[in-house]
Amino acid sequence: MSMPAHGWIRWILPSLTVLVVLLFWELVTAAGVVSPLQFPSMTDSLEALWREFGSERLWSAVGATMLGWLIGMVITIVLGLVVGTALAFNGFARRSAAPVIELFKAIPSIAILPLVILVLGSTLPMKVFLICFAAFWPFVIQVIYGVQSMDPVVLDTSRALGVRGPRRFFWVSIPSASPYLVTGMRIASAQALILSIVAEIVGGAEGIGRNILLAQNSGTTAYPTMYAYIIVAGLLGILLTGAFFLMERRVMHWHESQRNIRASSKVGRA
Amino acid sequence: MTITQTDTAVLAVDGLRKIYNEGTDQANMAIDRVSFLVEKGEFVCIVGPSGAGKTTLLRCISGLAAPSAGSIAFEGEPLDSVPEQLGLVFQDYSRSLYPWFTNGKNVALPLAARGVPKSERAQRVTQALTSVGLGHVEKKYPWELSGGMQQRVAIARSLSYRPELLLMDEPFASVDAQTRFDLEDLILKVRRELGITVVLVTHDIDEAIYLSDRIVVLSKNPSVVKEVVTVPLGAERSQVETRSSETFLELRSHLLSLVMPNDD
Amino acid sequence: MSRLTTSAVPTERTKVPASTEARRRFGRIATVLWLPALLVVLWWVVSANSTSPFFPPLADILAETWNQWVVFGAWPNATSSLQNLFFGYVLGVTIGIVGGSLLWRYEHVRIATNPLIYFLYVLPAPALLPAMIAIFGIGDMRQIALIALGSIWPTLLNTLDGMRGIDAVKFDTARALRLGGWRTYFTLVLPGAAPQIAAGLRASLTVGIILVVVSEMVAAQSGIGYFILQAQAEFAIKKMWTGILVLALIGTLLNYLFMFVERIALRWYYRSRALGGS
Repeated sequence: MSMPAHGWIRWILPSLTVLVVLLFWELVTAAGVVSPLQFPSMTDSLEALWREFGSERLWSAVGATMLGWLIGMVITIVLGLVVGTALAFNGFARRSAAPVIELFKAIPSIAILPLVILVLGSTLPMKVFLICFAAFWPFVIQVIYGVQSMDPVVLDTSRALGVRGPRRFFWVSIPSASPYLVTGMRIASAQALILSIVAEIVGGAEGIGRNILLAQNSGTTAYPTMYAYIIVAGLLGILLTGAFFLMERRVMHWHESQRNIRASSKVGRA
Repeated sequence: MTITQTDTAVLAVDGLRKIYNEGTDQANMAIDRVSFLVEKGEFVCIVGPSGAGKTTLLRCISGLAAPSAGSIAFEGEPLDSVPEQLGLVFQDYSRSLYPWFTNGKNVALPLAARGVPKSERAQRVTQALTSVGLGHVEKKYPWELSGGMQQRVAIARSLSYRPELLLMDEPFASVDAQTRFDLEDLILKVRRELGITVVLVTHDIDEAIYLSDRIVVLSKNPSVVKEVVTVPLGAERSQVETRSSETFLELRSHLLSLVMPNDD
Repeated sequence: MSRLTTSAVPTERTKVPASTEARRRFGRIATVLWLPALLVVLWWVVSANSTSPFFPPLADILAETWNQWVVFGAWPNATSSLQNLFFGYVLGVTIGIVGGSLLWRYEHVRIATNPLIYFLYVLPAPALLPAMIAIFGIGDMRQIALIALGSIWPTLLNTLDGMRGIDAVKFDTARALRLGGWRTYFTLVLPGAAPQIAAGLRASLTVGIILVVVSEMVAAQSGIGYFILQAQAEFAIKKMWTGILVLALIGTLLNYLFMFVERIALRWYYRSRALGGS
């Protein structure tokens, strides 16, 4: 479509944009176009971010959010792999469970939040339960798809070689389903992070979300701190979801190139 | 090449050269120097060993890619984009047909782009589909048809706006042998009925002989024209008789010797 | 990005002779229905004599739902939520599709804005809620702005990815047929990216529903999130359960409505895939 971008442009342009946005933010607030009662200046916010980086408060909040995310993700992935693989290999169980899984996936996880808060309180288990409820259903569907999409030749080969049971699960099912699994994990991770923040804002559990709300409640003077924490939430998103995002790109690339080879050999034979 | 010849030719390719990634260290010359003429009503095939810049050549003469040097004239006019009076059929019908539209809508696309009024379009679509031997597929989708039928839809789409010149890139390479024979005869019939000029790229020497009046033989990468072979087989051709005729077999061995890679 | 995502559990359909068709169909419906039915019955039976304050009998919840939402007229809460969701969502995904198309068309803009868009995409949207309260105060304006802001990014990135994934031969075809700029966009680029745009729209809807409820729970005077959290604060457990039930029902219906529309709009896609086509 347009001219191919040269190497240096790929670095200069994005850096320039970030700079321009930051300058624009500063100008708009300094010139009084936006009232400081609504929107703090860029320098104040970055200063607050710098200050918070040196404080205990920020790191314990980051730790709390990440811990909830981590436990939720581990439970979701382990449970999802086991249930998903079992359902993929058992037609009757899959057909029976399908409407239930789809129903639970369609239910907004936010709906059960007040109940979970009542039962478990503003605690880590509350956060983890909410994360699992949001992340499990879409992930298990991805697992079923991934395991089912397995090349029948690969399955036959593994049977002929006598690979079965847990070994087949780890050596055959999981690797060949990996593109689906990584996509599922990326979606689960994004959901987990969102629900983590929600549990902290609404449920009052410890973490970044609660600190954002606390800063907002402390009045206009704390607004720079609020934006500092919002930036931290974004950085955490880059760290947690971005990792899966990059992994997905790589696995997907492998997957699609494999698929193309298969498709072209099919055309050749016809 | 004289000026009068160039004027009557539908397509005049003169000193065409194509270099990919020109000016970088990955520069790759696909075509070195190719010149030939296609007269009105002619059927010309372009053959060459695999790896010769056949598809590149076709992309250049269709106006999809700009040549690095040389000139291409379509009906005396230099090319800068795909000319309005040019039809292009790609090898992979499953990639060139739009699966979200019905066959009828696919065929109607170029008509709509050329401002043919809606009332006239339906009739033109039916006409084009009938000319390639397809009826009652207008409301179906391409992926509901067999491969051979899909390629017929693609051909009908290129014929619907009645082009002067039909360019085809390995159009029958993705279908089975029987369908291939059917489609070859179909394209001969269409050409006879519409009096259209056809340029067809193929790697199949038998197909080239069976279809064409003249064959442009390319060398391997970077391509030059090795020879232009005239095919004296007459206007009427049939799969069984033509392919077993003396002339056919002689041409075949001559062309094979030209295309075989170890012949230099 | 999410070319490998799906919304439904895969179930294969095999062709059977007409004679056994009826029996098979009954069997299929029975297989699909027995587990959900069993779960509902189980909930009913197990909760029937429940004395737990958190888990009242299902029969009581249903009766209370009728009371709260029909007799006492709590339904405007649901309609105001839906209204905000609708405006915010439509605004957000429109920006998403237009923005994604522009980024696809202009490579330099894409490269330039990449870090910014990526940051906003991975930033958990609810984190913006307090900032939105600070900027817009409490009201429908803030709700709509937040929902829009959250639902832009999944749609935008999926639109961009879907458009970049379109086969080059299809663009050659468009040029060969001389379709021209806008006609190419509407007959090739948009429909070609449609399956992935739909995946983006679905992700945006999920985010939108979370945002409308969360922002009502934190700061609002009406809406279903407000209703639920108010009931919870009053320790009116049964009333809270009715809110959960209605919200779950609305969310589920919206999701199924979306899937229904998607199945019709992308009929060519699902049917060609079922036939093993490209």
